[in-house]
Amino acid sequence: MPRAAPNASTTTSVGGGVDEQPERQVLVVADVGNTHTVLGFFEGAVLIHQARIESARGRTEDELHMLLRRIVALTTRERLAVVGAAVGSVVPVLTEPTIKGMRAAFGVEPLRVESSMDVGMKVVYDDPRTLGVDRFANALAGYERAKGAVVIVDLGTATKFDCVAADGTFLGGAIAPGMRIAAEALASRAAKLAGVPLVRPKKVVGRTTETSMQAGILIGWAAMVDGMVERMRAELGPAMVIATGGLAPLVQRDAASIDLLVPELTLEGLRIAYQRSVGVR
Amino acid sequence: MLLTIDISNTHTVLGLYRGTELVHDFRIESSKGRTADEMLVLLVSMFELRGVAPADVTASVLASVVPQLTDPMIAACEHAFGRAPMVVGPGTKTGMPILYETPREVGADRIVNALAAFERAKGGVIVVDFATATTFDCISPKGEYLGGVIVPGIRIGAEALFTRAALLSRVPIALPTKVIGTSTEQAMQSGIVLGYVGLVDGMVRRIKEELVFPCRVYATGSLASPVAEACARIDEVLPDLTLEGLRLLYERNKS
Repeated sequence: MPRAAPNASTTTSVGGGVDEQPERQVLVVADVGNTHTVLGFFEGAVLIHQARIESARGRTEDELHMLLRRIVALTTRERLAVVGAAVGSVVPVLTEPTIKGMRAAFGVEPLRVESSMDVGMKVVYDDPRTLGVDRFANALAGYERAKGAVVIVDLGTATKFDCVAADGTFLGGAIAPGMRIAAEALASRAAKLAGVPLVRPKKVVGRTTETSMQAGILIGWAAMVDGMVERMRAELGPAMVIATGGLAPLVQRDAASIDLLVPELTLEGLRIAYQRSVGVR
Repeated sequence: MLLTIDISNTHTVLGLYRGTELVHDFRIESSKGRTADEMLVLLVSMFELRGVAPADVTASVLASVVPQLTDPMIAACEHAFGRAPMVVGPGTKTGMPILYETPREVGADRIVNALAAFERAKGGVIVVDFATATTFDCISPKGEYLGGVIVPGIRIGAEALFTRAALLSRVPIALPTKVIGTSTEQAMQSGIVLGYVGLVDGMVRRIKEELVFPCRVYATGSLASPVAEACARIDEVLPDLTLEGLRLLYERNKS
């Protein structure tokens, strides 16, 4: 059962810390992606804790309730008082269970972040409701960081490129296959090619099948990133390039176009959407 | 006539040569469970449709990267033409030094491509073969096979994306009109096709930086279009390169 916080009756204390520690008031955001759901805990604008669970499609709200409560208690020693929550999901079957699970676990009403909401970013998209909310969040946070034209590259299940103009207008982007799912597809479809660890080989031209595939995946995706950025800049003009996503560190060395790596960009965007929509400055 | 057979992971391509001229070519699915009898029916029927009698085929040569289809194809050829095909393998004389740590590991199709490309370029050359995998193979000006790069093919990558991302539906693999898509369909078309164009051009640039000699760049393979045409760093698209390599290999080994 939730432990009542002595100094804030409307919040729920969920951290694993001892009672003597002061509680830290946090906003919890959930980025429900195709592979993982990432939870971010923000104190003001500062991300103080993160936890990650599999985006298993069959999870129920009861399972998520228990998991969300316990994962916080077991992954941090801080005492966290949850004062707000937001969910951004690109997996429709997990959206409602996650919202209900968070409501039950944290005792607050989560805000469902959607690309059609007005949070001060003009969106040029045929139908903003069909824009993945992860891309919307990345664009919000990317522009906030760049303070000017920006291309955001998110390397995850998919490889996503999104463009924001100098005046803060979201212009659209591109979606390519992710390097890991493409590598897995190759290993399962080509009779003589097995899976390889995603480690960069010393040379581009491989002299074994393993190093040839490693170069193809790691240097190949870096080349894809550089090529797409070059094409986008030709339309957009000069723009900063921010990379995010679990696989971004693997291509950073070879993709010369990447200016900045911000692993928590999507979480940051969900926080910005929450704060702007509830009027927090 | 010489029948050349290239068994790849997705398709099996067959070419009939009269002398050095490719007079017929046809392709069948590389369905992994196909039997020798089925293969025989397909071979003979495809010949009949083009007015070719099996007796006109005096020899055949085969390269396969799908082990489970190699024996059925050999058996079908023996039955149809009265003699087994020459099978490209580690013992085949290529005249090309293979500077690979494990020469036996190099797919037969890659060596065959390298051979045909070097014959044509008469100098340093990179072959990009677009199929289930996209392979880049490098040949030195002295005609040595140097190794290469293997990338997941454009189609299997796109299929994986359609399957794994819950909100994304299937789009045709065609050149988009713009790079910054303003709908999810446009964005995917841009990412899949222009993303791959960037990958190929960028890979070629990086390979050329590492090799110290100038080289021609050829593209081949069933999935070359529409990417290869859009790549700035590809000099020529040669759809029959693998069949051509098989013919050359046969000529060098027939005695």
